[in-house]
Amino acid sequence: MQPFACSYARPQKASEDVTASYVYDPALQLNVLSDGRPAISDRALMLAAGTTTSTAGSQTHFDD
Amino acid sequence: MTVLVLTSPQDVTADLVVAELHERGVPLVRLDPADLPGGADLSAEYVHGDFHCYLSARGRMVGSRALRSVWVRRPGEPAAHAPGTSAWLGAETAQALYGMLYSTTARWMNHPRQAAQARYKPWQLRVAHLSGFAVPPTLITTFPGVAAEFAARYGRVVVKSLSGPPRTDPPVALPTTLVEPGTDFAGVAAGPTLLQQYVAKRADIRLTCVGGRLFAARKASAEGQVDGRYGDTGHAWEPAGVPDRIARPVREFMDLAGLAYAAFDFAEDAEGLWWFLECNQGGQFGFVELETGQPIAGAVAAWLGAPPPARP
Repeated sequence: MQPFACSYARPQKASEDVTASYVYDPALQLNVLSDGRPAISDRALMLAAGTTTSTAGSQTHFDD
Repeated sequence: MTVLVLTSPQDVTADLVVAELHERGVPLVRLDPADLPGGADLSAEYVHGDFHCYLSARGRMVGSRALRSVWVRRPGEPAAHAPGTSAWLGAETAQALYGMLYSTTARWMNHPRQAAQARYKPWQLRVAHLSGFAVPPTLITTFPGVAAEFAARYGRVVVKSLSGPPRTDPPVALPTTLVEPGTDFAGVAAGPTLLQQYVAKRADIRLTCVGGRLFAARKASAEGQVDGRYGDTGHAWEPAGVPDRIARPVREFMDLAGLAYAAFDFAEDAEGLWWFLECNQGGQFGFVELETGQPIAGAVAAWLGAPPPARP
Protein backbone atom coordinates (compact mmCIF):
# COMPACT_ATOMS: atom_id res chain seq x y z
CA MET A 1 0.00 0.00 0.00
CA GLN A 2 1.43 3.39 -0.89
CA PRO A 3 1.33 6.32 1.58
CA PHE A 4 -1.87 8.36 1.24
CA ALA A 5 -0.11 11.55 0.11
CA CYS A 6 1.70 9.72 -2.69
CA SER A 7 -1.60 9.00 -4.43
CA TYR A 8 -1.66 12.75 -5.21
CA ALA A 9 1.80 12.82 -6.82
CA ARG A 10 1.93 13.93 -10.43
CA PRO A 11 4.73 14.03 -12.97
CA GLN A 12 6.92 17.07 -12.55
CA LYS A 13 6.63 19.28 -15.59
CA ALA A 14 10.04 19.46 -17.22
CA SER A 15 11.29 23.00 -16.87
CA GLU A 16 13.49 24.58 -19.45
CA ASP A 17 17.14 24.04 -18.53
CA VAL A 18 18.63 27.50 -18.71
CA THR A 19 21.76 26.72 -16.72
CA ALA A 20 23.62 25.99 -19.98
CA SER A 21 23.22 29.62 -21.02
CA TYR A 22 25.44 30.94 -18.24
CA VAL A 23 28.67 29.90 -16.61
CA TYR A 24 30.16 30.56 -13.18
CA ASP A 25 33.01 33.07 -13.17
CA PRO A 26 35.20 32.43 -10.10
CA ALA A 27 36.84 35.85 -10.39
CA LEU A 28 33.52 37.69 -10.13
CA GLN A 29 31.90 34.95 -7.99
CA LEU A 30 28.89 35.45 -10.29
CA ASN A 31 27.39 33.65 -13.27
CA VAL A 32 27.94 35.32 -16.61
CA LEU A 33 26.38 35.03 -20.07
CA SER A 34 28.40 34.15 -23.16
CA ASP A 35 28.82 37.87 -23.92
CA GLY A 36 30.30 38.48 -20.47
CA ARG A 37 27.28 40.22 -18.92
CA PRO A 38 26.16 39.03 -15.49
CA ALA A 39 23.37 36.42 -15.78
CA ILE A 40 21.23 38.50 -13.42
CA SER A 41 21.03 41.22 -16.07
CA ASP A 42 18.86 38.89 -18.19
CA ARG A 43 15.41 39.08 -16.57
CA ALA A 44 13.83 36.45 -18.83
CA LEU A 45 16.59 34.00 -18.01
CA MET A 46 16.23 34.69 -14.31
CA LEU A 47 12.49 34.04 -14.41
CA ALA A 48 13.07 30.82 -16.33
CA ALA A 49 15.77 29.62 -13.94
CA GLY A 50 14.35 27.10 -11.52
CA THR A 51 16.54 28.50 -8.79
CA THR A 52 14.53 31.71 -8.58
CA THR A 53 11.06 30.19 -8.31
CA SER A 54 9.15 28.41 -5.60
CA THR A 55 8.42 24.88 -6.76
CA ALA A 56 6.78 23.25 -3.75
CA GLY A 57 9.86 21.34 -2.83
CA SER A 58 12.65 21.05 -5.32
CA GLN A 59 14.54 17.81 -5.60
CA THR A 60 17.43 19.24 -3.62
CA HIS A 61 15.80 21.61 -1.14
CA PHE A 62 12.27 21.09 0.10
CA ASP A 63 11.80 24.35 1.92
CA ASP A 64 11.30 26.62 -1.04
CA MET B 1 35.37 41.57 7.49
CA THR B 2 34.18 38.95 5.03
CA VAL B 3 30.84 37.35 4.23
CA LEU B 4 30.84 33.59 3.55
CA VAL B 5 28.21 32.47 1.03
CA LEU B 6 27.55 28.73 1.09
CA THR B 7 25.83 27.81 -2.15
CA SER B 8 26.26 26.04 -5.47
CA PRO B 9 27.92 27.87 -8.38
CA GLN B 10 24.74 27.64 -10.51
CA ASP B 11 22.60 29.46 -7.92
CA VAL B 12 21.70 32.67 -9.76
CA THR B 13 19.45 33.83 -6.93
CA ALA B 14 22.61 34.05 -4.83
CA ASP B 15 24.08 36.17 -7.63
CA LEU B 16 21.51 38.88 -6.82
CA VAL B 17 22.97 39.18 -3.33
CA VAL B 18 26.61 38.76 -4.40
CA ALA B 19 26.17 41.67 -6.82
CA GLU B 20 24.71 43.78 -4.00
CA LEU B 21 27.66 42.91 -1.75
CA HIS B 22 30.08 43.87 -4.54
CA GLU B 23 28.29 47.22 -4.89
CA ARG B 24 28.65 47.84 -1.17
CA GLY B 25 32.33 46.90 -1.26
CA VAL B 26 31.82 44.02 1.18
CA PRO B 27 34.41 41.24 0.74
CA LEU B 28 32.96 37.78 0.27
CA VAL B 29 33.95 34.19 -0.30
CA ARG B 30 31.50 32.00 -2.19
CA LEU B 31 31.99 28.33 -1.46
CA ASP B 32 30.10 25.14 -2.22
CA PRO B 33 30.68 22.52 0.50
CA ALA B 34 30.35 19.95 -2.29
CA ASP B 35 33.75 21.14 -3.57
CA LEU B 36 35.50 20.24 -0.30
CA PRO B 37 38.12 18.80 -0.45
CA GLY B 38 39.81 19.33 -3.80
CA GLY B 39 37.98 22.34 -5.20
CA ALA B 40 38.10 24.09 -1.82
CA ASP B 41 40.14 23.66 1.34
CA LEU B 42 39.90 24.20 5.08
CA SER B 43 42.13 24.25 8.12
CA ALA B 44 41.39 24.76 11.82
CA GLU B 45 43.69 24.81 14.84
CA TYR B 46 42.66 24.46 18.45
CA VAL B 47 45.89 25.13 20.36
CA HIS B 48 46.47 26.42 23.90
CA GLY B 49 42.84 27.41 24.27
CA ASP B 50 42.91 29.48 21.12
CA PHE B 51 41.13 28.78 17.88
CA HIS B 52 41.80 29.80 14.30
CA CYS B 53 40.29 28.46 11.13
CA TYR B 54 40.65 29.20 7.44
CA LEU B 55 38.60 28.40 4.39
CA SER B 56 39.74 28.85 0.82
CA ALA B 57 37.93 28.51 -2.47
CA ARG B 58 39.20 29.28 -5.95
CA GLY B 59 41.98 31.58 -4.84
CA ARG B 60 40.12 33.36 -2.03
CA MET B 61 40.64 32.81 1.67
CA VAL B 62 38.83 33.82 4.83
CA GLY B 63 39.94 33.31 8.42
CA SER B 64 37.70 33.01 11.45
CA ARG B 65 38.81 36.39 12.83
CA ALA B 66 37.74 38.12 9.62
CA LEU B 67 34.46 36.26 9.23
CA ARG B 68 31.52 38.64 9.52
CA SER B 69 28.56 36.43 8.60
CA VAL B 70 27.58 33.17 6.94
CA TRP B 71 24.72 32.89 4.43
CA VAL B 72 23.47 29.34 4.00
CA ARG B 73 21.72 29.52 0.62
CA ARG B 74 21.76 26.34 -1.48
CA PRO B 75 24.92 24.49 -0.36
CA GLY B 76 25.71 21.12 -1.87
CA GLU B 77 26.31 18.09 0.31
CA PRO B 78 29.83 18.25 1.75
CA ALA B 79 32.39 16.40 -0.41
CA ALA B 80 29.78 15.52 -3.06
CA HIS B 81 32.17 16.58 -5.84
CA ALA B 82 35.35 15.25 -4.21
CA PRO B 83 37.26 12.57 -6.09
CA GLY B 84 36.39 9.14 -4.72
CA THR B 85 33.70 10.55 -2.47
CA SER B 86 31.78 8.36 -0.06
CA ALA B 87 29.21 8.68 2.70
CA TRP B 88 32.06 8.56 5.19
CA LEU B 89 33.99 11.35 3.43
CA GLY B 90 30.82 13.44 3.34
CA ALA B 91 30.29 12.96 7.08
CA GLU B 92 33.93 13.76 7.86
CA THR B 93 33.82 16.90 5.73
CA ALA B 94 30.52 18.06 7.24
CA GLN B 95 31.99 17.59 10.72
CA ALA B 96 35.08 19.60 9.84
CA LEU B 97 33.35 22.42 7.96
CA TYR B 98 30.28 23.05 10.06
CA GLY B 99 32.05 22.21 13.31
CA MET B 100 34.63 24.91 12.73
CA LEU B 101 32.09 27.44 11.48
CA TYR B 102 29.95 26.81 14.58
CA SER B 103 33.05 27.72 16.61
CA THR B 104 33.26 31.24 15.17
CA THR B 105 31.36 34.32 16.31
CA ALA B 106 29.93 34.98 12.83
CA ARG B 107 26.25 35.82 12.41
CA TRP B 108 24.22 33.21 10.53
CA MET B 109 21.43 33.47 8.01
CA ASN B 110 20.22 30.94 9.05
CA HIS B 111 22.12 28.86 11.57
CA PRO B 112 21.80 25.20 10.49
CA ARG B 113 20.56 24.21 13.95
CA GLN B 114 17.64 26.66 13.77
CA ALA B 115 17.10 25.84 10.10
CA ALA B 116 16.79 22.12 10.83
CA GLN B 117 14.24 22.77 13.57
CA ALA B 118 12.24 25.19 11.43
CA ARG B 119 11.85 22.61 8.66
CA TYR B 120 9.58 20.49 10.86
CA LYS B 121 6.03 21.40 9.87
CA PRO B 122 4.38 20.18 13.08
CA TRP B 123 6.79 22.38 15.07
CA GLN B 124 6.09 25.32 12.74
CA LEU B 125 2.36 25.01 13.35
CA ARG B 126 2.85 25.07 17.11
CA VAL B 127 5.11 28.12 16.93
CA ALA B 128 2.67 29.80 14.54
CA HIS B 129 -0.10 29.30 17.11
CA LEU B 130 2.10 30.67 19.89
CA SER B 131 3.05 33.66 17.75
CA GLY B 132 -0.56 34.67 17.23
CA PHE B 133 -1.24 33.66 13.62
CA ALA B 134 -4.56 32.26 12.43
CA VAL B 135 -3.74 28.63 11.61
CA PRO B 136 -6.19 26.29 9.85
CA PRO B 137 -7.10 23.15 11.87
CA THR B 138 -4.49 20.53 10.97
CA LEU B 139 -4.07 16.81 11.56
CA ILE B 140 -0.98 14.61 11.21
CA THR B 141 -1.77 10.94 11.68
CA THR B 142 -1.20 7.34 10.70
CA PHE B 143 -4.71 6.33 11.82
CA PRO B 144 -7.09 6.05 8.81
CA GLY B 145 -10.12 6.36 11.08
CA VAL B 146 -8.85 9.57 12.64
CA ALA B 147 -8.19 11.00 9.16
CA ALA B 148 -11.70 10.08 7.99
CA GLU B 149 -13.24 11.64 11.11
CA PHE B 150 -11.19 14.86 10.63
CA ALA B 151 -12.28 15.12 6.99
CA ALA B 152 -15.92 14.56 7.96
CA ARG B 153 -15.70 17.20 10.71
CA TYR B 154 -14.21 19.95 8.52
CA GLY B 155 -15.91 19.09 5.24
CA ARG B 156 -13.26 20.23 2.82
CA VAL B 157 -9.67 19.30 3.62
CA VAL B 158 -6.41 19.36 1.71
CA VAL B 159 -3.52 16.92 1.85
CA LYS B 160 0.06 18.12 1.73
CA SER B 161 3.41 16.49 2.29
CA LEU B 162 5.50 17.02 5.41
CA SER B 163 8.88 16.94 3.68
CA GLY B 164 8.27 17.69 0.00
CA PRO B 165 7.83 15.25 -2.87
CA PRO B 166 9.49 11.83 -2.91
CA ARG B 167 12.92 11.86 -4.58
CA THR B 168 12.18 9.81 -7.68
CA ASP B 169 13.43 9.51 -11.22
CA PRO B 170 11.62 10.86 -13.16
CA PRO B 171 10.79 13.56 -10.59
CA VAL B 172 7.26 14.03 -9.30
CA ALA B 173 5.47 16.99 -7.76
CA LEU B 174 3.23 16.79 -4.72
CA PRO B 175 1.06 19.90 -4.75
CA THR B 176 -1.37 20.67 -1.96
CA THR B 177 -4.55 18.95 -3.15
CA LEU B 178 -8.20 18.98 -2.15
CA VAL B 179 -9.40 15.58 -0.87
CA GLU B 180 -12.60 14.51 -2.63
CA PRO B 181 -15.63 13.44 -0.58
CA GLY B 182 -15.82 9.65 -0.15
CA THR B 183 -12.03 9.23 -0.37
CA ASP B 184 -10.61 5.99 1.06
CA PHE B 185 -8.11 6.89 3.81
CA ALA B 186 -6.59 3.38 4.11
CA GLY B 187 -3.26 4.67 2.74
CA VAL B 188 -2.88 6.88 5.83
CA ALA B 189 -1.65 3.75 7.65
CA ALA B 190 1.28 3.54 5.22
CA GLY B 191 2.75 6.93 6.08
CA PRO B 192 2.18 9.95 8.34
CA THR B 193 -0.38 12.12 6.55
CA LEU B 194 -0.97 15.85 6.96
CA LEU B 195 -4.55 17.01 6.43
CA GLN B 196 -5.63 20.61 6.82
CA GLN B 197 -8.93 22.42 6.64
CA TYR B 198 -9.26 23.99 3.21
CA VAL B 199 -9.13 27.80 3.21
CA ALA B 200 -11.19 29.26 0.36
CA LYS B 201 -8.79 31.97 -0.65
CA ARG B 202 -8.93 35.00 -2.87
CA ALA B 203 -5.15 35.46 -2.92
CA ASP B 204 -1.81 33.92 -2.01
CA ILE B 205 0.52 35.98 0.14
CA ARG B 206 4.28 35.51 0.22
CA LEU B 207 5.90 37.46 3.02
CA THR B 208 9.70 37.52 3.11
CA CYS B 209 11.32 38.52 6.38
CA VAL B 210 14.98 39.63 6.31
CA GLY B 211 16.22 40.54 9.75
CA GLY B 212 13.48 42.90 10.87
CA ARG B 213 12.43 43.97 7.35
CA LEU B 214 9.20 42.62 5.89
CA PHE B 215 8.34 42.33 2.18
CA ALA B 216 4.85 41.09 1.37
CA ALA B 217 3.68 40.15 -2.10
CA ARG B 218 0.14 39.22 -3.14
CA LYS B 219 -1.12 37.19 -6.07
CA ALA B 220 -4.85 36.93 -6.76
CA SER B 221 -6.03 33.32 -6.95
CA ALA B 222 -7.96 31.73 -9.75
CA GLU B 223 -11.43 30.45 -8.87
CA GLY B 224 -11.10 27.24 -6.83
CA GLN B 225 -7.29 27.20 -7.00
CA VAL B 226 -5.73 25.23 -4.16
CA ASP B 227 -1.94 25.38 -4.58
CA GLY B 228 -0.78 28.79 -5.77
CA ARG B 229 2.54 27.40 -6.94
CA TYR B 230 0.93 25.41 -9.73
CA GLY B 231 -1.04 26.55 -12.72
CA ASP B 232 -1.00 29.89 -14.46
CA THR B 233 -3.70 32.08 -12.94
CA GLY B 234 -3.11 35.02 -15.25
CA HIS B 235 -2.27 37.11 -12.18
CA ALA B 236 1.13 38.44 -11.17
CA TRP B 237 2.77 38.99 -7.80
CA GLU B 238 2.26 42.56 -6.60
CA PRO B 239 3.66 44.38 -3.57
CA ALA B 240 1.32 44.35 -0.58
CA GLY B 241 1.22 46.17 2.73
CA VAL B 242 1.80 44.24 5.94
CA PRO B 243 -0.98 44.75 8.50
CA ASP B 244 0.23 45.21 12.06
CA ARG B 245 -1.78 42.13 13.10
CA ILE B 246 0.56 40.13 10.82
CA ALA B 247 3.83 42.01 11.42
CA ARG B 248 3.74 41.32 15.16
CA PRO B 249 3.32 37.52 14.88
CA VAL B 250 5.95 37.37 12.13
CA ARG B 251 8.51 38.99 14.43
CA GLU B 252 7.41 36.77 17.31
CA PHE B 253 7.81 33.68 15.10
CA MET B 254 11.27 34.77 13.95
CA ASP B 255 12.35 35.31 17.56
CA LEU B 256 10.97 31.99 18.78
CA ALA B 257 12.51 30.14 15.84
CA GLY B 258 15.84 31.99 16.05
CA LEU B 259 15.74 32.78 12.32
CA ALA B 260 17.27 35.73 10.48
CA TYR B 261 15.50 34.94 7.20
CA ALA B 262 12.22 33.24 6.31
CA ALA B 263 9.55 33.27 3.63
CA PHE B 264 6.00 32.85 4.95
CA ASP B 265 3.07 31.58 2.89
CA PHE B 266 -0.45 32.74 3.75
CA ALA B 267 -3.89 32.26 2.21
CA GLU B 268 -6.03 35.41 2.18
CA ASP B 269 -9.69 34.58 2.64
CA ALA B 270 -12.77 36.52 1.51
CA GLU B 271 -12.71 38.64 4.68
CA GLY B 272 -9.08 39.59 4.11
CA LEU B 273 -7.73 37.39 6.93
CA TRP B 274 -4.28 35.93 6.31
CA TRP B 275 -4.15 32.24 7.30
CA PHE B 276 -0.69 30.85 8.11
CA LEU B 277 0.18 27.96 5.80
CA GLU B 278 3.88 27.51 6.28
CA CYS B 279 7.23 29.13 6.91
CA ASN B 280 10.09 28.33 4.53
CA GLN B 281 13.33 29.11 6.34
CA GLY B 282 15.26 28.95 3.06
CA GLY B 283 12.42 30.11 0.84
CA GLN B 284 13.09 31.50 -2.61
CA PHE B 285 12.84 35.24 -3.08
CA GLY B 286 14.11 35.75 -6.64
CA PHE B 287 10.69 35.39 -8.27
CA VAL B 288 9.16 37.92 -5.85
CA GLU B 289 11.93 40.46 -6.39
CA LEU B 290 11.79 40.09 -10.17
CA GLU B 291 8.01 40.51 -10.33
CA THR B 292 7.48 43.18 -7.65
CA GLY B 293 10.75 45.06 -7.69
CA GLN B 294 10.99 44.73 -3.90
CA PRO B 295 14.66 45.06 -2.85
CA ILE B 296 14.94 41.74 -1.02
CA ALA B 297 18.46 40.89 -2.25
CA GLY B 298 19.58 44.32 -1.08
CA ALA B 299 18.10 43.66 2.36
CA VAL B 300 19.89 40.30 2.56
CA ALA B 301 23.17 41.94 1.54
CA ALA B 302 22.67 44.73 4.08
CA TRP B 303 22.08 42.20 6.87
CA LEU B 304 25.07 40.06 5.88
CA GLY B 305 27.34 43.07 5.49
CA ALA B 306 26.33 44.86 8.69
CA PRO B 307 29.20 45.52 11.12
CA PRO B 308 29.46 42.98 13.91
CA PRO B 309 27.87 44.07 17.20
CA ALA B 310 30.29 45.74 19.59
CA ARG B 311 31.63 43.36 22.23
CA PRO B 312 31.25 44.37 25.86
